[in-house]
Amino acid sequence: MSKAHSYGRTNLIISILFAAVVFFLSIKFDPYNQGQLAVALMVFIGVLSIVLLTGTSGQISLGQGALMAVGGFAAALGILNLGLSIWLAIALAIIAALLAGLLLGIAAARLSGPYLAGTTLVIALAIPSLATRFESVFGGDVGLNIAFGDPPAWLTSLMSEVGYEQWQLLATLPFATLALFFTSNILSSRTGRTWRALRDHEIAASLAGIKISETKIFVFVISSGFAGLAGVLYGLRGIVGPSVYPISLSLLLLAGAVLGGIRSILGALIGSILVVFLPDLIEWASGSFSPSEQIANYLPAMISSILLILTVVLNPGGIAHGLHHKKRHH
Amino acid sequence: MDIFLSAIFAGTSRGAIYALAALGLVLVWRGAGVVNFAQMGQAMFSTYIASTLIAQNYSYWIAFVVALISGGALGALVDLLVMRPLNRKRSSSVLDSPAMRSTVPVIASLGILGVLQAAAGMIWAAEERGFPTPVNSLGLVINGKIMPFTAFDLFVIGIVFVTLVATTYFFKGTGMGLAMRASALNPEVARLSGIRIGFVRTLSWVISGVASSLAGLLVTPSANLSPNTLDLILIIGFTAAVVGGLDSLLGSVIGGFVLGLLVAFVNVYDAPEDIFLAILVVLLTVLIIRPQGILGSKEVRRV
Amino acid sequence: MLEIKDLVTEYGSVKALNGISLSAHEGKITTVIGANGAGKSTLLRTISALEHPSSGSISWKNKSIVGLSPEKIVRLGIAHVPEGHAVISQLSVEENIEMGALFRMRSNKADVRIAIQEIYQLFPRLEERKKQLAGSLSGGERQMLAISRALVSRPSLLLLDEPSLGLAPLVVEQIIQTVNDLCRNTGLTVLLVEQNANTALGVADHGILLSLGTVVADLPAAQMKADVALRAAYLGY
Repeated sequence: MSKAHSYGRTNLIISILFAAVVFFLSIKFDPYNQGQLAVALMVFIGVLSIVLLTGTSGQISLGQGALMAVGGFAAALGILNLGLSIWLAIALAIIAALLAGLLLGIAAARLSGPYLAGTTLVIALAIPSLATRFESVFGGDVGLNIAFGDPPAWLTSLMSEVGYEQWQLLATLPFATLALFFTSNILSSRTGRTWRALRDHEIAASLAGIKISETKIFVFVISSGFAGLAGVLYGLRGIVGPSVYPISLSLLLLAGAVLGGIRSILGALIGSILVVFLPDLIEWASGSFSPSEQIANYLPAMISSILLILTVVLNPGGIAHGLHHKKRHH
Repeated sequence: MDIFLSAIFAGTSRGAIYALAALGLVLVWRGAGVVNFAQMGQAMFSTYIASTLIAQNYSYWIAFVVALISGGALGALVDLLVMRPLNRKRSSSVLDSPAMRSTVPVIASLGILGVLQAAAGMIWAAEERGFPTPVNSLGLVINGKIMPFTAFDLFVIGIVFVTLVATTYFFKGTGMGLAMRASALNPEVARLSGIRIGFVRTLSWVISGVASSLAGLLVTPSANLSPNTLDLILIIGFTAAVVGGLDSLLGSVIGGFVLGLLVAFVNVYDAPEDIFLAILVVLLTVLIIRPQGILGSKEVRRV
Repeated sequence: MLEIKDLVTEYGSVKALNGISLSAHEGKITTVIGANGAGKSTLLRTISALEHPSSGSISWKNKSIVGLSPEKIVRLGIAHVPEGHAVISQLSVEENIEMGALFRMRSNKADVRIAIQEIYQLFPRLEERKKQLAGSLSGGERQMLAISRALVSRPSLLLLDEPSLGLAPLVVEQIIQTVNDLCRNTGLTVLLVEQNANTALGVADHGILLSLGTVVADLPAAQMKADVALRAAYLGY
């Protein structure tokens, strides 16, 4: 069996295992944690977009949250104005995000480092401002309402009872699994190698015949698709609006990617779970301290920012890298 | 006509503030090779300190000076606690790629921004603070006629002008200024000349911190202070620095005024919601047509 | 006196200096010659602390200087003129020279002014062009400027790395003679690294031949210059 095929098979097995584990947890968790896990999976898809864009091809973007917004708004408009079903709306969201990614890539592919970061930051702020600008279309500050809806009949008959949060989780799971599968295939393929060459040895890569600009734009497009998917699922929790996709969402994704390990899928998973469950963890850990509300409100942001700085200074590869390292030295 | 004039003046005085923000960014870029996204967070923090002093009945000028000092101190802390250790770290595979090496300080500065905003929230509960002006902020009256600008506008332009003159003199006319320029241009030759480039680099951070604090103090009378108010200034300051040329102090100041006028005109003749789009258009145009900025040199782009 | 014993400097796993021992006596010109890649530049860079040795000792005037920072070494009176980009093109001639004296400005302003005057007497072409940007100077003038930057700190040991690189023979002659005069008149100790062995050995008191990171010959200059076999084997002529 060729190498590509054997990788493909491994990736498939891992993806199925992943889905199975999450499914198992979905049954065991209480509703609150089911909802949190659903959000963690959505963030996971978004963080994968960063693993592809930044971890693999070395291009930093502070605008993934804005691409999530594009996906969310496209789906919302599709559902509310065109009467699309949720599945079609999700497809529309991905297409819209791919297009947005194309535009973003064309604008940004010649930039790098702080120029790229700053430009994507401006874009991340400009896109949500469109929503307030064209209030009649996008619902202004209030936003548009869409939802996962009720679980389908065949599921409820299969599982006797499916709670609201559980349905969110189960609906998100197949997409997260698909995202995982796609990403692992990209990373282990020649495409992934090309992207890594872009990151590590751009000059050598271009000498070897790789079309730099086109590849960079392509990475933007693909990673935007992931972000758009994450965005529509995120919005299906109830609202699509500027307050749902603030700039801090982009930073949350970046933090999740860096903390977990910006180069690996495992890192993306660890990071997503970390940033989503962090407020709960902190509340649980600080139970005996009972800090004032003022402090408690900002503790998650403070701790994740400090962790981000520590990670970047002490262990830039993130938790996943640290684990890998430890395994090697045994 | 009056509307046009008031747009011009508002644009100039806002532009002065953006010029300060851009100046701070360029100082650290030239002195330390980092684009400091936390800069306006530092400014926000020191402005909060100033507003606390004012609330406790200290005079405007004492609060002003304390804010500047704390801005400088914050800058030094950022360099000493985060940027220096970051520079020393060599042995990670992640840092082997040039793309990541220029990305990592950006992420670090975003982390610092997060810390500062969270700290401001914890200490001051993110409450919106008003901040007084030392001079009248209503339309100035000269010879009985109401002018389309205020005494405060003049104050701001005056302060920025003084700052420009002071920094130019510092860089061109003092030994330390020469040391800073030399360290930024060729660190090895600077070291061989006996210049302590570590100290000089930290000094860039301090001066940049003072400049951005100044920007924060001057902008907050017209915008209520909360942990996120100054984010907009950062974006505009960044765009101004890119427009003017990331390695040119004069360019960043020009860029600041250009953007100030742009923002004022968009505000007056279009809609405030379009400001981000306008900034984006300017940014992309410059990056496509003249990536090194108005006064930047061609080598700026080897990030 | 500069004393180096068993100096080893590595770049990764490559030993650029593989146990070098030599001395440079005060007031004398010692020249280090050898083919490309012999380790000559690395030697100077290790003395001025731009590179860190992995083992061995360096002492100047009987005090060890290993482990000090470059800025500290300059303050001990050791000035290094690196090869190639030794001046800052975007600064003026004046500023390039001033740069070398900055660390002394507070303690000795008057002497700095005297030192700058002396340098302009030594290199009148530089005084003519003092407001011009260093980048607009000719190759020879740039080399004079680089040496001036080092001299303005009133060093007692001058480390000169390939001053002849890319310069016309006449200009090289001029510069080497100036360094020679300086040494004889002021007692400056000079460690001169050169590819142009002939010219270097013409003014030096002592010669050290390096090959692949080790000292192959350590002789009085006249003797080394006359040794035809040595030249043929290591210098190719």
